[in-house]
Amino acid sequence: MTALAFLLALLAFALFGLSTDEHHRKRLGARPDAVTVLRLRGAAWAAVAAAFPFAIAAQGWVFGPILWVALLMLGAGLVFLALNLIPAPAGRK
Amino acid sequence: MSELGDKGFRQSQAFLHTWSGLLLGWVLFAVFAAGTIAFYREGLNRWMRPELAKVEQPEKVLAGAQRFLQEKAPDAKSWSIYLPSGSTPGAQVSWRPQPVEGEAPRRGRNRNQVMIDANGEPAKVRETRGGEFFYRFHFDLYYMPVIWARWLVGVAALLMLVAILSGIVTHKKIFRDFFTLRRGKGQRSWLDGHNATAVLALPFHLMITYTGLVTLAVMLLPWATSAAFKDEAGYFEALYPEPAEVERTGRAASLVDLTTLVRDAEQRLGGKAGYLEVSEPGDAAARVGVIRSGASMLSSRTPRISYDGTTGKPVWASPEAGPAVVTAGSMIGLHAGRYSSDWLRFLYFLCGVAGSVMVASGMVLWTVKRREKLHDPARPHFGFKLVERLNVAAIGGFPLGVAVMLWANRLLPVEMAGRAAWEVHCLFLAWGAALMLGIVRKPQPNWVALLGLTGVLLAALPVYNLFATERGLFASLWSGDGVLAGIDIALLVFGAAFLALARRVARHKPAAPRVRRRAAPVQPVAAQMEPAE
Repeated sequence: MTALAFLLALLAFALFGLSTDEHHRKRLGARPDAVTVLRLRGAAWAAVAAAFPFAIAAQGWVFGPILWVALLMLGAGLVFLALNLIPAPAGRK
Repeated sequence: MSELGDKGFRQSQAFLHTWSGLLLGWVLFAVFAAGTIAFYREGLNRWMRPELAKVEQPEKVLAGAQRFLQEKAPDAKSWSIYLPSGSTPGAQVSWRPQPVEGEAPRRGRNRNQVMIDANGEPAKVRETRGGEFFYRFHFDLYYMPVIWARWLVGVAALLMLVAILSGIVTHKKIFRDFFTLRRGKGQRSWLDGHNATAVLALPFHLMITYTGLVTLAVMLLPWATSAAFKDEAGYFEALYPEPAEVERTGRAASLVDLTTLVRDAEQRLGGKAGYLEVSEPGDAAARVGVIRSGASMLSSRTPRISYDGTTGKPVWASPEAGPAVVTAGSMIGLHAGRYSSDWLRFLYFLCGVAGSVMVASGMVLWTVKRREKLHDPARPHFGFKLVERLNVAAIGGFPLGVAVMLWANRLLPVEMAGRAAWEVHCLFLAWGAALMLGIVRKPQPNWVALLGLTGVLLAALPVYNLFATERGLFASLWSGDGVLAGIDIALLVFGAAFLALARRVARHKPAAPRVRRRAAPVQPVAAQMEPAE
């Protein structure tokens, strides 16, 4: 359960990250158009929300919400490091 | 301001952010860093006593503690035992002798303290305050009356909350630029780092600052409690309900076996017990109080149960906690993170590191931003010099102090008088030396020296442990002692990080003064005051 919630948090922030102009261009080749950005953000928010029930299932109502926030921070941190420190595929600078 | 609209508001917030952050930023950095270290208070309690083996059988230790106290202080006024577990160095026991007629009760630190080791014997162990120092320093500071310290820390926390909230407004682009990190770009990189550490752990920063204020709330805002309670006693009774004190009868009676009692108490309390207290041991009126461990629940106001010390029958239990007590207790529990599992604790720690970096980078940014606008960068005005040098002393000095203290823990002779206090003095001596250095020398080489020295000292500690103690990194890993191994690894990582930072600073060449400033000396006021984004 915790692992699932974590994967969703990771997914959420990966999507948030890719919805920014710069990272989208770097990772996927082109600037995203407005519709793509909206879709990415929508999916990201959905993943944030979807992680919540798993966190509750893992740790209950007292510690579950704490776990959820903690996993979101961890996910955001890891994605932040990955997007900025892993070099982009060659030719897409 | 109104004609500027949104910009005016943001500028006012930028002003607030800058100055609320700066005013007590140095105190805040030390408090934040010490608090971060204190998440591993129990781990450091063990790390700083490398003589002691890991506790494998807590019950054996508790039985040993009872045996020891029975022999050492059979007719004491009271005994107290911090119950052993896998994460404590052993059982810390202390006792208070019967008060002597006409003599004021002794104040201050109780000297009748002994550590019972994993085998249940009184340990021959170096005198140290261990991780407790960081915990106390986090809100009591040092060398000053506790009440002043708490006010200072309380005001610093309040300013921190102001800085966080105004920072969200000032740097409103942070959410849009969430994932941006421009490296090697001077001011922009500092700003990105400041923003990233702030935003990534924003929930933590808000939580920790707010709940930190809650821990001091009653002191900072006493009016609600003084309105609700007639006197202090009533307030304490409501917050920390305790059974009535017992009178000594003078009839001797033997005390029940404490291990059985604790097992029973844990069942009734619904979780691990953390602390045990015996009043009038060895007397027919003896009472044993057991308090549930803060590691077993979110609220820090843990329930208590009291037993008759001769029959082992429960005679009193703390009443169900009211909503206010549970709320305050949960916030304090959330702040201290005692409930957390290993992984969550690690996250707490990482967030704390992010917070410390946020504060430090914010302080450095203050100078970085202003340096470009100086009229004569070679001779900055007094305020600039003061901040720049205090930054070196506070931000470069505190980590050095910590490293020196850990070395003092290893190197000070075991038989030294006042050894525990001297470990702490060493921290402040090093910190003071950093301040002196900051006063007499230019900042940039100081950064390199302090960061570099801190890095070397930190990274060398695990090496020393490897050869000079029985609990080096490999031994810890081999025996599956994750906490000690983790601390050694963390020291290596931080040592490397400090060295890398020192290298960066040493190679840094200040950018040539921009031509723009000369070419266009009169900038529009709004542009000059543009808040950092």
